[in-house]
Amino acid sequence: MNILVVEDEPKAGNYLLNGLQELGYSVSLARDGVDGLHQALETAFDVIVLDVMMPKMDGWEVLRRLRKEADTPVLFLTARDDIADRIKGLELGADDYLIKPFSFAELVARLRTLTRRGPSREEEQLQIADLQIDVLKRRVTRAGTRITLTNKEFALLHLFATHQDQVLSRSLIASRVWDMNFDSDTNVVDVAVRRLRLKIDDPFQLKLIHSVRGIGYRFDTQP
Amino acid sequence: MNTRRHYSLTLRLALIFALLAFALLATLGVALYRELERELIMRDDAALIYRIDQLRNLLNDSNTLDLIKTKPELFQNMLGNRESVLSIAAPGQKPLLTVNPGNIDLPSIPPVPKNHELTLADVHHFPSINGVPFATVAASIDSGDLGSLQVTTGRLMTERTSVLASYRLSVYILASIAALILALVGYLLVHRGLLPLRRLARHAQGIGVGNLAERLDSHGAPKELLPMIDSFNTMLERLAKGFVQLGQVSTDMAHELRTPINNLLGETQVALQQHRSIESYQQLLASNVEELERLARMLDNMLFLARTDPASALRQRQELSAWDEVERIAEYFEGLAGDADISIHAEGEGVIWAEPMLLRRALANLCANAIKYGAPRTELEIRAVPSADGIHLRVSNQGETIAAEHLPRLFERFYRVDESRERSAQSNGLGLSIVATIMQLHNGRYRVSSEAGVTCFELFFPRRED
Repeated sequence: MNILVVEDEPKAGNYLLNGLQELGYSVSLARDGVDGLHQALETAFDVIVLDVMMPKMDGWEVLRRLRKEADTPVLFLTARDDIADRIKGLELGADDYLIKPFSFAELVARLRTLTRRGPSREEEQLQIADLQIDVLKRRVTRAGTRITLTNKEFALLHLFATHQDQVLSRSLIASRVWDMNFDSDTNVVDVAVRRLRLKIDDPFQLKLIHSVRGIGYRFDTQP
Repeated sequence: MNTRRHYSLTLRLALIFALLAFALLATLGVALYRELERELIMRDDAALIYRIDQLRNLLNDSNTLDLIKTKPELFQNMLGNRESVLSIAAPGQKPLLTVNPGNIDLPSIPPVPKNHELTLADVHHFPSINGVPFATVAASIDSGDLGSLQVTTGRLMTERTSVLASYRLSVYILASIAALILALVGYLLVHRGLLPLRRLARHAQGIGVGNLAERLDSHGAPKELLPMIDSFNTMLERLAKGFVQLGQVSTDMAHELRTPINNLLGETQVALQQHRSIESYQQLLASNVEELERLARMLDNMLFLARTDPASALRQRQELSAWDEVERIAEYFEGLAGDADISIHAEGEGVIWAEPMLLRRALANLCANAIKYGAPRTELEIRAVPSADGIHLRVSNQGETIAAEHLPRLFERFYRVDESRERSAQSNGLGLSIVATIMQLHNGRYRVSSEAGVTCFELFFPRRED
């Protein structure tokens, strides 16, 4: 995946560049709006991460000019948490936004969603190592043993299983499983993951759910 | 700001005074003038009739007739001025006597028959001969030898006209002077009367952030200004309170920020003291992330509370199934409650007219509290009860009773019942104030009761208005 990051803040630009490169993406960094627009028009990127508050040319202007020529998906970053700002961005043709401060895992998840091409076909049967999930019948077995899950436990497992190898942040999990789109002060997600582990991981040798400290959880056959 | 021009109350009142005075005096003057005019006309008419009556008597005497023929100047003198007209003539003949020094054109009028008494109604008025009213009367007279004679007399009302004209002028001049005086007096009085207002304005100007405790002085102010002063002072009271609260919130927030920042700073500095293993650096960074997430959450909450635009916050209000929402919250907290050995009982029906994310946030905050303070092996109850004008959502738990003195303050920012016990990473003292803000945004109500070990938070969402 080919990503352009337009960010004037030096530290933020650097960590976005490094972080995304480490995940195996090819990343270009522009330090201001003029350069950003120039690069965006020169090269075909899969997705653009665009900071709004920049000197010389702000993100809105970059977006406005870019949209005249290309429809590359754009995710904008804003430090201002007001609704008018977000609406403005989306009206100008942005595809998604994140409010600073945001978690890096969240950014990666959003970028993946933006670049996913075509509707992903819902798998009816999922098989991860010796774990089998029958999505339609909502039946889970591991190593031939039937495991009974509550509705939300199943939803959580399904989310993990369809996002293998990806680090999922707590707020992403809360929003996908319970439709709670805000940072709750509680550790509901941790508790739910622990309970799920109790059923699908603890009795078995191979662990599937891994904690990634400070970020969230990863579902993977590799430790 | 108002773009219309501001008028001066003083000037306006003075002008109104002047206009009223002029109108009043002018009306009075006109009424008196009419009365005077009528009186004068009547007197003039009576004089004419009196003259004819006298001639009727005189002309019965043949000596008088001779006298008329021989010495007509006598009669001219008798009339005394140039405005009177007298003519005596037999019908169809040259007049015996014509006294008309002013050469006035006599209009011909029918004479009053001989035996009729003359009345005021017999006087004919002509509106104007050369601009001056003219009154005339004619009568037939029996003069013995000469038979029937016709006497016509009249008078041009020059004198009356000039009297009335000067009267009119006086009225206008007096009314104008009175209006002028009243305008001046009115201006001065109003100007003086508004003095307390200017004093208040000066006083109000002096009140700023530094002396919000000061109040406007109602001493010596007119009664009409008292309500204004009162409401102004009440407003100051509210402002002062809000200001103190705001200051308190800033202070509290700064204190809240201290803990995570202190952890970040301390842990990082200690870690940098010497070389360490990769694992301990990872541990440090992960710990930093936790503190930073805590800071981000607090920031998010503070910004949420500071947002004051209800219109945009409520743009996405929907009619939500109370059952779905209550069930969702119950499922969300199922694990957490299970850990605390608390069971959740959720039930409800009806619809909630709310912005879904805000509603869920409010309910989640209440439930998180309820689980935190609930005693083990008890039940957390989430209940939705529809009523005629909306729906009540109740979240109640069993645990320690909250002392009554704390209840009204629970929804304040950073308020904690037990200062030392509750300052933890999980709680930042904003949860309930966010609930309060969400309810205010929805024009709803919130309250809390705590009795006999049961603490119940109740939210009321009004139903959708058409």
